[in-house]
Amino acid sequence: MTKAILIDTTRCTACRGCQVACKQWNDLPAEETHNEGSYQNPIRLSAVTWTLVQMREVEYRGKLYWSFLKRQCMQCLHPACVSACPVGAMHRTPEGIVVYDDSRCIGCRYCMTACPFRIPRFEWDKPLGYIRKCHFCYDRQAEGLPPACVKACPSGALRFGEREEMIAEAEGRLRAHPDRYYQHLYGKEEGGGTSVLILSALPFDLLGLPTLSSEPVALPESTLAPFEYLGQPTLGKEPVTQLNDELAHIGTPAIALGVTAILAGMQWYGRRRARLAGEAARRASAKEER
Amino acid sequence: MTTWRKELRKELPISWAEAAVLVALAAIAALGLGAAAVRFMRGLGATTGLSDAYPWGIWISFDVFIVPFSGGAFTLAAVVYLLNDERYHVLVPPVVLAGLLGYAMVCAVLLVDLGLPHRFYNIIAFLNPKSFMFEISWCVMLYLLVLVLEFSPVVLERLGWEGPHQLIRAFTIVFVSAGIILSSLHQSSLGSMWLLLQAKLHALWWTPILPLLFLVTAVAGGLCMVIFVSVLAAKVYGHRAPTHLLANLAKAVAAILLLYGVLKFADLALAGELGLLFRPGTLTLLFWAEVALGIAAPIAIFAARKLRQTDGGLLAGAVVALAGLALNRANVSMFAIWRPAGTVYRPSWMEVAILAGALAAAGLVFALAARFLPLLRPASEEHRG
Repeated sequence: MTKAILIDTTRCTACRGCQVACKQWNDLPAEETHNEGSYQNPIRLSAVTWTLVQMREVEYRGKLYWSFLKRQCMQCLHPACVSACPVGAMHRTPEGIVVYDDSRCIGCRYCMTACPFRIPRFEWDKPLGYIRKCHFCYDRQAEGLPPACVKACPSGALRFGEREEMIAEAEGRLRAHPDRYYQHLYGKEEGGGTSVLILSALPFDLLGLPTLSSEPVALPESTLAPFEYLGQPTLGKEPVTQLNDELAHIGTPAIALGVTAILAGMQWYGRRRARLAGEAARRASAKEER
Repeated sequence: MTTWRKELRKELPISWAEAAVLVALAAIAALGLGAAAVRFMRGLGATTGLSDAYPWGIWISFDVFIVPFSGGAFTLAAVVYLLNDERYHVLVPPVVLAGLLGYAMVCAVLLVDLGLPHRFYNIIAFLNPKSFMFEISWCVMLYLLVLVLEFSPVVLERLGWEGPHQLIRAFTIVFVSAGIILSSLHQSSLGSMWLLLQAKLHALWWTPILPLLFLVTAVAGGLCMVIFVSVLAAKVYGHRAPTHLLANLAKAVAAILLLYGVLKFADLALAGELGLLFRPGTLTLLFWAEVALGIAAPIAIFAARKLRQTDGGLLAGAVVALAGLALNRANVSMFAIWRPAGTVYRPSWMEVAILAGALAAAGLVFALAARFLPLLRPASEEHRG
């Protein structure tokens, strides 16, 4: 039921046709960019750049790799942004697409803070700014078309289809070419799973992705890396939203009831003490009278 | 001094020095208001240091600190109205006003921070009960209303409106209880809000018991606010502070902070993360600074009978504890969150001016209330229970 994109970074030539196709389909303007010492251009995602080929020079096992990774919204199966959004502007459609409703948003930017992949962007240059991110071409998908980026990809680095089929396809490639791939399908389980699945020759923390806490951690080389974290963020296999959602369901009523009980107890104690104090005072005054 | 000046001074209920302070506060508030106007005209990008790497800045950290700071009102209300301890009643009006002003500041700063502030009412129209931001917004709105009701007797008394005054008095226990429940919910959800950041918030701070830690620190921080406001107001307006009552509160603060410290370190130990405490790095230093200011120092001061029975000791303990609380909130909401390499956040002068303006406006209202409302009663009027 859920669709997915399979990104095979070993097949990517960094032509950036996907970037251009995304801009064309979504009517996004070009950005003024600066040379910051990399072919990566623009240097990071923004409110008008929803997908971007990230380029990194990485040394791994004594070999130099020039790695290309298409970054975009990961379309989580359990999206943190959706749990975070107080007004339900971020939501996951029945087809499994994480979309954003302009008309509901209040601009609190909790989705940006909550997203483990740092994807949602804000329109900083406008007096009234909205959130922007890849919406998985939900409009094209509704017509049975693949996302614009997949349609544009000439090298077969991007594939689109049922998530189960994409997982089977990716695992087939991992088995067929153990020498070509780092033996892990990114997105199958990370944070409860994503609809963007990634194959790579390199460990995924070297690509700046938050990795499963069980995965061996390789130290990142210091390269020009807009997505690099200051450290090693990790994700579990359980949904990133699990604790939040459980607590919201159970915790809130539990706290309300618990505190009410405590208050009732306090009031009982307070009244009893006042009554005892009153009785003591009466006894004392009676004694005096006598 | 000329006669007209003396005459004026007699009529004017405030001294020149006090008037100068009020005018200065008004000027800072006006500057903040002006900066807020510029922010609405030009957008967040042009007027703040915020960016996609730092979607939240000092405004949010300020809010996340001011909410527990304002929590004094609910803790004190529990003692006075539910435990029926009338002795502490004398502390209530200034603390409720400080809480009310704290929440008003939070709402004002949040409105400036929102990308689409004209739509804030969407929080009422569209609900996502899974979102702790939703819970916080609702509780803050409702609790602000409760605080207005809790404070209204002071105003009604001044106006001499007996009918409404009696009506409010009759329902005190109802809205005081509602206020305590709302506070418990949103003080804890302020911590729950960071649970989604498991991959991004440093392990020294991320823990499933964040809501509990936030609630416990809100009680301690709120009591420190009671001490801070009471001692400071007494000093400024030349009253005698109810030191023996505040000393009892200080003792409670020491006990609560001890519990907080035990929870914090036991949690790290159970998670097997004690090693992080000794890993060299800025974040480790920030953690220890937070522990020193927010736990160790106030416990040391408040546990000493001699210190907590002096105004100076009370004030010092409350100030370090509040500084530690502020650092804790800043760590969770800003410093300990992973950022892309090479990105920095420098708050703009307008962000600072808006915060200063909000604080000045709150200070101004408090000062005027202290002057014109029956807010601060001399210690002699205290009930002795």
